[in-house]
Amino acid sequence: MNPTVHAIGAGADPEAVLTALAEVVDPELAIDIVSLGLVYTVQIAGAAVAVEMTLTTPGCPLHGSIAEAVRARLSQLDGVGAVDVSLVWDPPWTPDAMSERARQALGFA
Amino acid sequence: MTVPGGAPRAVLPLASLAVATLALVAAAAGLALDPSVLGGPASAPVLLALLHAVTVGYLALTFAGTLQQLLPVLLVTPLALPWLGPLGLPSLALGAAGVVAGFATGFRPVPLAVGGALASVGLWAVAAQALATYLRARRTRAGRATAAHEPPAVGEGGAEAGPARPPDAAAAGLVTATVYLALTVTLGFLMAAATRLPRLAGTLGFPVQLHLTLGLFGAFLLGIAAAGRKLLAMFVLSKGAPGTRVRILTYLVHGAVVSEMLAAFGGLPSRAVTIALLAAAGTLQLGEVAALLRARLRRRLEPPVFRYLLAHAFLPVAGGLLVAGRSQAAGTALLLGYLVLATSGMQVKIASFLTWQARYAARGAANGAPLLRDMIRPGLEPVITVGLAGGAAAAVVATLTSGSAASVVAAVLLAAGASAQLAQTGVVLLGRHGSRPSPRPRAVPRKETS
Repeated sequence: MNPTVHAIGAGADPEAVLTALAEVVDPELAIDIVSLGLVYTVQIAGAAVAVEMTLTTPGCPLHGSIAEAVRARLSQLDGVGAVDVSLVWDPPWTPDAMSERARQALGFA
Repeated sequence: MTVPGGAPRAVLPLASLAVATLALVAAAAGLALDPSVLGGPASAPVLLALLHAVTVGYLALTFAGTLQQLLPVLLVTPLALPWLGPLGLPSLALGAAGVVAGFATGFRPVPLAVGGALASVGLWAVAAQALATYLRARRTRAGRATAAHEPPAVGEGGAEAGPARPPDAAAAGLVTATVYLALTVTLGFLMAAATRLPRLAGTLGFPVQLHLTLGLFGAFLLGIAAAGRKLLAMFVLSKGAPGTRVRILTYLVHGAVVSEMLAAFGGLPSRAVTIALLAAAGTLQLGEVAALLRARLRRRLEPPVFRYLLAHAFLPVAGGLLVAGRSQAAGTALLLGYLVLATSGMQVKIASFLTWQARYAARGAANGAPLLRDMIRPGLEPVITVGLAGGAAAAVVATLTSGSAASVVAAVLLAAGASAQLAQTGVVLLGRHGSRPSPRPRAVPRKETS
């Protein structure tokens, strides 16, 4: 499942934001968070970027690191100012959200 | 460094894992020096020294160090009384060394007394911290539920699954196991003291079966079941299993402890009841692991995770030997086959994670930080698995047959496995880990521009 991107007005480049998000990798699974289907929505309002994402399991010990990595990576982009990362559990993550490549990487596609 | 749930920096737990692995190597080296102790009497001082190097030095220290990170994560609550960790873990490490020295030198009272006291203080500090953290999480959740005008839901789920849910079975099991661990060491300390104090001996007796039940089952079986419920689910990407099994397993362990207390202090012939309850608890743990594996999304198992799973093959062996009345061989299968093997697998994963948090989290999960699997040396994994599993199997045979050849094989294999475990821990903690190339993005956004 690819994330939904809402872009309002001129500001950060949505394609660049998505590309940057796909560079954030879960260090345990070795798959990027976009391919895992963890990113639900990206809202871009001028220079402000808000990401709504989830994790494969509640209580994942990596959640602080992954959310921080998203924040840090997006902050490096031209045209991006404030970055807000929200972790949500509704809807819960399911394997259906993963890309075909991610399924293959996990060995069950 | 950002650590979820307010867990402390990773230095303390990582140091605990390193010292714990040294204790395992020391135990294996001691066995290599005198393999014949395996077929000898259980009360031999050298054998007791080796046993306590494994239980108090390796298992307890690994467990206590891991709790510093795992409990805040499970409960999504900052660790309560954080000063107790730096007090408890060094005290436990020094205490373990004292206890082992006391046994190894033929029950010398001073190192046994000082070591037992230090280990008890250390473990009660860890238990108090775990209990306080658990109670804090319950209060926080109750407060959230009250604020939301909804009663706390009774049910399972992750710690973050909803603000009104109580801490789950895994967290409750871990805290219970921690208290049992502290009780085990304190009881052992009192038993050692009773050999010198006739009045204490008259009151306490020598409840060695209670000591073993508290430690091997109350602390370690329950601890592995509770921690494994969360850790295994994460490492194989399992969608989880109902918490009923771990909850019932906890009750069964409580029952076994009560049964042993009745036998030890009430003179009741309840040993058969204890064995039945423990066999049921072991069976439930096998069912729990099978359920988590059935619900997994990650088909390929990493070597440390495979080792954790392989350890469960020793559970029915230990149960069968216990029922057959071969309690010393059953204890060997449970301790070396199940507990050490399972702990060694999870230890590698936990050390990788903690080291990644300490060294690479600031760089972020982007920008070329290594993957967790890149932080271990793959060639060491088969040596650890074959060494520890083969050594455990040979040790069981040696205990059953009093055979010198099996004892030597066990000693050699365990020394190889423990040394490889130490080398792997060193690679994870101190090694230079290669950077990961940046991934090629393949995302295609659903774009809604307004």
